Amino acid sequence: MKKRRLFFLVVILLLVGAYFTYNYLYQDHRDIKTEDSVIEITAEDLLQQFKSGTAASILNNTITVTGTISQIEEMAVTLNNSVHCSFDGGLTGLVDNEEIKIKGRCIGYDDLFEVVKLDQCSITK
Amino acid sequence: MKRQLTLYLILFCFTAAIAQKYSTKTGEINFEASVPSFEEVKAKNTNVSAILNAETGDFAALALIKGFRFKVALMEEHFNENYAESSKFPKATFKGKIKDFDASSLTESEKEFTISGAVTMHGETKAVEVPLVLQMQNGVLLITTNFVLDPKDFNIKIPKIVSNKISEEVMVSASFSLTN
Repeated sequence: MKKRRLFFLVVILLLVGAYFTYNYLYQDHRDIKTEDSVIEITAEDLLQQFKSGTAASILNNTITVTGTISQIEEMAVTLNNSVHCSFDGGLTGLVDNEEIKIKGRCIGYDDLFEVVKLDQCSITK
Repeated sequence: MKRQLTLYLILFCFTAAIAQKYSTKTGEINFEASVPSFEEVKAKNTNVSAILNAETGDFAALALIKGFRFKVALMEEHFNENYAESSKFPKATFKGKIKDFDASSLTESEKEFTISGAVTMHGETKAVEVPLVLQMQNGVLLITTNFVLDPKDFNIKIPKIVSNKISEEVMVSASFSLTN
């Protein structure tokens, strides 16, 4: 009787362990859309921060950028020729020179084009 | 009159110079270091910048390391923190020159070229020579390539405990749709 209880206890412990291990290994990706942004900043200011090297704390964080659309691509927009925002889905209804507010994950500074890049963007306004 | 002519000439040169550059900010790089029967080690970056000077064949590409996305979130985290150390080394770059490049010879059918240059990432630079396939489609210059990189060349150490799950050869493929 005692042996049987011990056996069940071990099985339950193993199952709980497996459950937590699985959840750890296959945890969900970050959901940038629902994350709070750590900073709200204009496109030009953000570029300036990266150029002057004071933007380390922004890297990999969710941020909100405001600006005017200077270029529209199939799945991306550029704000004030300073911040390139890429979306996971297609874009519709945007026009050049439109004032816009975009939330996304800052992935770094691209010194070929001298723009800051954001991915997984969503339009907040 | 003479002055006007010079001005026109300067303007012409400028437009010609601009017209000779092809670029993209949304090029794609995939890499895979999977080992059969283990979890696939594969990532994709669709925000790669690239510029080609069509006059000289000079080519440059830049990929932000944090822009590489994996299917498994934990793998992405480990890649960034332990292997590529993306906070310390945020980008990977390539700079090189396409051999015997001639923009006017490009057509809709695929044409093979070779590019020689250097890949820099994780603070290390390695000279490479890789084949390229170029195509011109309605004014869009398509570049595709496949090659193999060795993490050891970039001082990226793979711990013994996971070394049987990550291939020593990393297959890289890239494609760029460059526009004028």
